[in-house]
Amino acid sequence: MIKEDRKKQDLFWYVLVAILILIPFIPRVAANSFTQHVFILILLYASMSQAWNIIGGYCGQVSFGHSVFFGIGAYGAGMAIVKYGIVPWPGIVIGSLIATVVAVAISYPCFKLKGHYFAIATFAIVEIFNRLFMVWYWLNGALGLDYPMLKVGWKNFVWYKTKIPYYYGALILFVIIFGIVRFIERNRFGYYLKAVREDQETAEAVGINSAFIKLAAMALSAFLASFCGAFFVQYNFRVEPPMVMSLHVSMLFVLVTILGGVGTFFGPLLGAMILIPLQEYTRVYWGGLGSGVDLILFGFLIILIMVRQPKGIMGLINEFQNYRNRKRRRIISTEAEIN
Amino acid sequence: MKYGCFVILLFQIIKSCINIFFSLKELFYLSYLILPISTVTILNYYLISANFKLKTEGGVRKYYKSFYLSLENILIFLRRKTEVNFCKKISVIVLTVLLAVTVASGAAFAQEKVIKIGTLFPLTGSVALAGTRCKAAVEAAVEVINNAHPEIQVPLAGQEGILDGYKIVLVHADHQGKADIAKAEAERLFNQEKVYSIIGCYNSACTAPASLVAEREGKIFMCGCSSSAALTERGLEYFFRMAPTDQTESLEFCEVMEWMNEAKGANVQTIGIIYENTEFGKHAADEGKAAAAAAGFEVVADVPFSPGATNMNSEVQTLKAKNPDVVFGACLGGDYTLWVRTMKQMDWLPKMCLNYCTGYQDPVITQQLGDDANYFMGGTGYAPEFAELMPAVAAVEKIYEDMVDVPFDSDSIQEAVAVLILAQAIEKAGTLDYDAVRDTLYANEWDSPLSMGGKVAFVPGGQNSKAMSMITQLQGGEYKRVYPVDLATDEVVFPMIPWNER
Amino acid sequence: MFFQIAIDGLLTGMVYALVASGLSLIWGVMDVLNFAHGEFLMLGMYVSYWLGFLMNLDPLISWIASGVFCFLLGVLTYKLIIQHTLSGPSLSALLATFGLSMMLKNIALNRFSPNFRILTGTLLDGKRIFLGNIVLPLPQLITSIFALVVVFIIYYIIKRTRLGWAIQATAMDKSAAELMGINTEKIFLLVFGLGGLCVGIAGGLLPSYLAVHPEVGGLFSLIAFVCVAMGGFGSIPGALLAALLIGLVEALSGFYIAPVFKYVAVFGLYLLIVMVRPKGLFGW
Repeated sequence: MIKEDRKKQDLFWYVLVAILILIPFIPRVAANSFTQHVFILILLYASMSQAWNIIGGYCGQVSFGHSVFFGIGAYGAGMAIVKYGIVPWPGIVIGSLIATVVAVAISYPCFKLKGHYFAIATFAIVEIFNRLFMVWYWLNGALGLDYPMLKVGWKNFVWYKTKIPYYYGALILFVIIFGIVRFIERNRFGYYLKAVREDQETAEAVGINSAFIKLAAMALSAFLASFCGAFFVQYNFRVEPPMVMSLHVSMLFVLVTILGGVGTFFGPLLGAMILIPLQEYTRVYWGGLGSGVDLILFGFLIILIMVRQPKGIMGLINEFQNYRNRKRRRIISTEAEIN
Repeated sequence: MKYGCFVILLFQIIKSCINIFFSLKELFYLSYLILPISTVTILNYYLISANFKLKTEGGVRKYYKSFYLSLENILIFLRRKTEVNFCKKISVIVLTVLLAVTVASGAAFAQEKVIKIGTLFPLTGSVALAGTRCKAAVEAAVEVINNAHPEIQVPLAGQEGILDGYKIVLVHADHQGKADIAKAEAERLFNQEKVYSIIGCYNSACTAPASLVAEREGKIFMCGCSSSAALTERGLEYFFRMAPTDQTESLEFCEVMEWMNEAKGANVQTIGIIYENTEFGKHAADEGKAAAAAAGFEVVADVPFSPGATNMNSEVQTLKAKNPDVVFGACLGGDYTLWVRTMKQMDWLPKMCLNYCTGYQDPVITQQLGDDANYFMGGTGYAPEFAELMPAVAAVEKIYEDMVDVPFDSDSIQEAVAVLILAQAIEKAGTLDYDAVRDTLYANEWDSPLSMGGKVAFVPGGQNSKAMSMITQLQGGEYKRVYPVDLATDEVVFPMIPWNER
Repeated sequence: MFFQIAIDGLLTGMVYALVASGLSLIWGVMDVLNFAHGEFLMLGMYVSYWLGFLMNLDPLISWIASGVFCFLLGVLTYKLIIQHTLSGPSLSALLATFGLSMMLKNIALNRFSPNFRILTGTLLDGKRIFLGNIVLPLPQLITSIFALVVVFIIYYIIKRTRLGWAIQATAMDKSAAELMGINTEKIFLLVFGLGGLCVGIAGGLLPSYLAVHPEVGGLFSLIAFVCVAMGGFGSIPGALLAALLIGLVEALSGFYIAPVFKYVAVFGLYLLIVMVRPKGLFGW
């Protein structure tokens, strides 16, 4: 049964990736740079939320601190280009390594805390990092790093006129991160994570080193998150603490995952597919009216979805599947009766 | 398919409902039947009814149009009302997804002779106040350009439109004070809305990426009041900024101090700087420090604080302990009132207090602070008291006041200048070609009755070299000009009157 | 100087305590993170401001109206939103309140315009008490006394009345409480209302010295979160102590280290305390 499900999931996954590769060739998308922008953001936030999902969903440690790692990755790329005037790649690698080290260093003591205490601790860490980065002279503090005009291409990972390469960059990020999570989900490590989430004491009783598992998950999550941050800054040509390293940014990752379904493989993608266009298009339609009409609607729609479907989109899909299975079983049983 | 129809209908209904409730003031009272949020809300409507006046013609027409469209849809739907019965849960999700993937199709304007100009301001978020005022200023300027106002002494006011009947239509966008959104919205305005040019963005942090977008597209970006000096040092070709920068203001502040020392024997030597720790505040403070060092003053207190503070006790205590002679302030809006009131509470004042383009200039805050706001000084590009210097402003200000109920302040008036200068340049170039308009902008010195000094001219990089501001002091709730001396109307009150003697 | 700063800090801390105690109730009993708490405060401030502006009511009186308003707001929030999300994971209530906070903030922006509004000419405006060379600003002082009283009343209700015992029982074990004949639905409703009441009272008093604008709640709610976690969830005395501590640390570090670092110190203090006591100061 599980094998069958997996096969189905595999098929779905390959079809999905194929569709995503083909999306820029749809004429309507190809001609409209804002639609491309929305697609890029969907992929980026899906990847970022999937990175969060490793620790927050599969391992059950709700962290509001991921914008720190996101931000460090962003600053890695930004510093390489703005301060050192080289290609962003070494900066991205160094940034992601630093993010991993920081993640391990701050979560090692914090994992002692449980539930909301942990969540608030990560809250506090974001605020501390935000304010430190705001005054850190070496990183230009509150002034932020502004990209100069660069040579276009994959070497600098910068394009001005077109967004298609960014789309494929985001797609690569998406495939890598989702691929890693897919691999983990079916691996021993994934089951460890779930065991720790369900009951830490029991997990330890059967011989899982829960502290190590949690740290490893956090490190992996932060490592992947920092790549997303680097992509974000390459896309926006500017990095400053409120943009990449604030509670609001952290919340967005959490919200996307909750909306899609926490601890599910397709949850982050579904969440991003709804939340990001919602955010972008409400702004497009009503933002110009001023006075926050777009955000009122955005907030209202979030509430509406959550009240109607508190388990996220995946909850709805699971309900539907259960319903179908029941129906199928009923058919089988009636057939058996007839025979 | 049949659900899809219903969903599109729902979407249309919601959209038109919102459009009606939020933008057509003649139908405003309807909203009280449906949205009785609280009695306070209703009371407030009478106080602030000017929030949603959509002045531009195109805007109103657009909303009427979508309203009729949805009426049509309702009729179609009523004819086949059999399809109502389906899963509500799914409808909500599908609705939102559909809302999400429906692609904005741009407003259909019947007029052909139209120049679309985008505005990009922080209409929500922590600096929303300044954003809405800037937006209204742009609208006022467009009103002056589009319609014949022979009584207004501003270029282009007498005629209708520019280039023989071209009208300017505004497309508004909101960047919420976030740089990434500013960039995305600038791209959308250029590529989807096909605007000719963008006016924006108030926050320097947002102007930087948005103007880069314009530069890449080879389109003109007009910046009114972003004050970071770095913006015009990037060597952009299509970027123009009207307002004086922090640098000019800082130098002026030091000049004032030197003048005080020489002419008045004030003997001010030490400076304290209090600023919000954001892109704006940091820039201002850095320029202030540089100017102070160049003029030989000593900066004894450097006090950055996080904006949106709940209290400013420790900031003011730090200032009080270091006791500088002069304080340079860069605190916006709510922080400014908190700062002033905390100083009063701590019973401390410097001898002199000079403010950048901040809460000091906001007429509403000044009025609300009442007597507490007096004797503070600051750089001011415009205040209603300057009427004799800038006689043409009053008529434009009237249009503006109809929208936001306050007079112009130094920031918002620069946005109006930006539109007027752009329109003049297009008129003079006689074409909409970007390079021609840009060259014209650089080549000429423009008459601009709305800016102090009356002239605007650009130097490479896009800075308005004629930009100037005056040092004013609040006395009795009015902005009195105190420096430069030849334009001054009042004597400066020095030192500031202590709190207990007011 | 030191005492002056410390007293300023304590006065600020009292306000934090009042905001945090409402949050602590909601959080402790229902395990729901109310992200819209700062927006409740903001709306409470607006109620008080408009009453003062239109009817010349002093904040000393209009806090009652703001309290009632926020009580109703809390009840409505529970009825319309939180109740429905409780069937999902605990995070979904968070998402819903996040949406609510965004909505309330922008409704305020929409209706009241983003102007910064100050209530002038109130009874306490600018009054100060001098104790030697220490200045005690009266508005802050009165607000903190109110805060202290309200926190004690809430504490008394929780600890000494049948209603409070029911609330405690619900917090400890919902299903067991139901078996004992407690209508937990009603308790939840009431707790959300009480949480709103606390923050409403705080909001009603604040306009006497703080400017009102739609974004005013942000930092308050952030600090309230930290207060609650530092004190231990559901513990009112814990929240009070934590709030005072935070006020003190904020003021002292702001002066003796640097003003930019004051919130770094506050959040650092939280981390430090939970490292030593992982369940907060008074948590169980």
